[in-house]
Amino acid sequence: MNALKAGLVKLQSWEGFLLVVLIFIILMNASLTDNFLSVGNQMNLFMLSIEKIIVALVMTFVIINAEIDLSVGSMMGLSACAFGWMFQQGVDPVLAIGICLLIGLVGGFINGWFVARVGLPSLVVTLATLIGYRGLARVLVEDRGIGDFPQWFNDLGQKGLIGPVPFGLIAFVILFIGLYVVLQRSGFGRKTYVIGTNREVADFAGIDTGRVKIVIFVMSGLVSAFAGLLFAARVGAVRGDVANGFELDIITMVLLGGVSIFGGTGTLVGTLLAILIVLNLRNGMALLNITGHIQTGVVGLLLIASVLVPRIKLPTVKAKEVT
Amino acid sequence: MTTPVLALKDVSKSFGMTKALSGMSITLFPGEVHAIVGENGAGKSTMIKIMTGVHQPTTGSLEVDGKPLSLSGTQAARVAGIAAIYQEPMVFPDLDVAENIFISATDLGLVQNRVRLRTRARALIDRIGMSLDVDRIAAGLTLAEQQAVEIARALSQDVRVLIMDEPTASLSAHEAGELRRVARKLASQGVAVVYISHRLEEIFEVADRVTVIRDGMHISTRPVGEVTPDSLIADMVGREVGNYFKKAPSHATPEVILKVTDLACEDIFRGVSFDLHKGEVLCMAGLIGARRTDVALSLFGIRPATAGTVSYKGTQVRYTSPAQAIAAGIAYVSEDRRKLGLAMPMPIRSNITLATLASILSPAGIIDRRREREIAEAYRKRLNIRTPNVDLAVGMLSGGNQQKVMLAKWLELKPDLLIFDEPTRGIDVGAKAEVHDLIRAFVAQGGSAIVISSDLPEVLAMGDRILVMREGRQMGIIDHKDATQESVMRLALGQFEGAA
Repeated sequence: MNALKAGLVKLQSWEGFLLVVLIFIILMNASLTDNFLSVGNQMNLFMLSIEKIIVALVMTFVIINAEIDLSVGSMMGLSACAFGWMFQQGVDPVLAIGICLLIGLVGGFINGWFVARVGLPSLVVTLATLIGYRGLARVLVEDRGIGDFPQWFNDLGQKGLIGPVPFGLIAFVILFIGLYVVLQRSGFGRKTYVIGTNREVADFAGIDTGRVKIVIFVMSGLVSAFAGLLFAARVGAVRGDVANGFELDIITMVLLGGVSIFGGTGTLVGTLLAILIVLNLRNGMALLNITGHIQTGVVGLLLIASVLVPRIKLPTVKAKEVT
Repeated sequence: MTTPVLALKDVSKSFGMTKALSGMSITLFPGEVHAIVGENGAGKSTMIKIMTGVHQPTTGSLEVDGKPLSLSGTQAARVAGIAAIYQEPMVFPDLDVAENIFISATDLGLVQNRVRLRTRARALIDRIGMSLDVDRIAAGLTLAEQQAVEIARALSQDVRVLIMDEPTASLSAHEAGELRRVARKLASQGVAVVYISHRLEEIFEVADRVTVIRDGMHISTRPVGEVTPDSLIADMVGREVGNYFKKAPSHATPEVILKVTDLACEDIFRGVSFDLHKGEVLCMAGLIGARRTDVALSLFGIRPATAGTVSYKGTQVRYTSPAQAIAAGIAYVSEDRRKLGLAMPMPIRSNITLATLASILSPAGIIDRRREREIAEAYRKRLNIRTPNVDLAVGMLSGGNQQKVMLAKWLELKPDLLIFDEPTRGIDVGAKAEVHDLIRAFVAQGGSAIVISSDLPEVLAMGDRILVMREGRQMGIIDHKDATQESVMRLALGQFEGAA
């Protein structure tokens, strides 16, 4: 009985709940289709959404910090289009990649500066840059597609780099480990949580809260620009509407991962589990020939559940309270 | 004066473990202005809230016109003819005076008859005896005029008991006089006016009777002719000073660590000048609105002063951010744990190391978790923080233990100057004594402390010297040898020897 209670308490953590859901989905998928657990299918599943899940990692920082960055999709588009445009103008692709990353850095800094130093709400600032960055992307590329990138560039997005594992997946793993250490183990991560919980407490403790916010928005812009390039490489072509609307999928994954929209709570592990759930769920439904629209609806239901379930309190929680 | 219009009979009110009122009885007669005075936290607000139906008494009863009545909510109080106006009037800035007066009126029909509305509004304003155009937009009204609107609104609902809660606290002398005339005029029309004020002089001008309350209890009710400012102050402060509050020997040394000269910040405070010695405890006393916290915030770099000088350890400084003050060894323990002091959902250990995070980071910026735990455990033992472990969210602790976590955060900084803002507000007596010991230990080891406190016994027990402020002005500094509750309170109320 006590063991059961202890187990229930552990499951109270959102990550625990997500893990159970994930195992359930994987078992279901595995029993329904033969090649679900094959390395090829699992890797393919990642690669189809690799840009979004990379950006979801930094979005976790943004939302824990009690901010939001709606401009990530537009920044991905701007970066991809800027690369395409520069390639067309004959700029060296390696230099073009560098410039695109710089664009991401500056774009993120603009967001962060307005939020942290001017004091505007990030919802408004990044809504403005969502429109602005997308506008720039469309100005550069208009409605035509630009393609015929160098083979090595396309290979980065499409072929295995180490054995069958593609560059995007390696980047995701490295980024996850790096960001995990920063968020859950470093002083910067601690500041991120405290600011998201209560910015004034952080201010009064002498933390430069504005600087932390700017760094996080710069990270968000930089990683989005990187993800945009990855998209260009994987698809092999860019258009003005690249990554249009991606920000909503990205934010959904982060919230589903248990990161509170009010800031201060959530972990990168939660985001990772939510990413795995969404990917496996969509893949499983696709294998069952369920249409994309219904898949989207199911993900929506899951998001509502993610807000509801933590509110259902088991009586065992009382035991944790001490006066 | 025959039947009291409102009476509290032996009313007690508890919030959890805290007793806000105990055995409070008070009677209000029609046609009287009844002043109520008491220190901060004496229970005035709780009493008002019980009269206006916001709170229900834990025990005891209310009587209206001699008949028992329980007020189930604010609406019931309004029906019984009881209304309150506060220091900050509530008006709708975009509506005109007449519309504001009848904002909650229900008998005007769907389509308001503007002519009738204005006629009735004018009649009410006349009754108050103020000259105010009912067509004026509320946004342009002065505070006193806004209060007139609130009073007229109460009158429109046939008010019989009007509670005025520090109505003149933010008014100019002229406006305050006008408002006192309104109070008298209403009383002459048979309304019972409850008048709460920290300004003793106006009580003698406006009130018929004065009730003093202290520590949630009724102390005295007397006709105003039978009291003097001194007798009121004695009633307000006259509690037994227990053993907890014996003054400990001073550790002050001749060395001056902080020299503040003529400090001012916009129109918030001005003329603040004092020296703080190494090892000294300087208490700042005063009532609500004395602006002591604002002085502390300017020293801490939150809202820098606009005039005057601060010299710290012999050099002139002007901090513009807390980070600068912290780097210089100045810490500020906020009065508002919830908003400014602690990240409530986060573990005790993270809160304790928050201001000294850099000291537990590896060169790569990674938190040394073992070191963090050691620090937290050390404070848990030293400050006797009652918790099963240091990983618990600090919000789950009791107020006293939360306060200790907040103190631990700042002690870990090993500051030279600690500013404590109401360090024992809302914590129990045991925790209070522990906090006092901690402040004494801090100065005994060569630290210097500024203690802002509204608790007079605490001020007398802790302060080597006591700086008294009133409405943004420094009223004086009293050495602890010469300090009594009466002398401090007299300065805090702006009463000088022989002035009244």
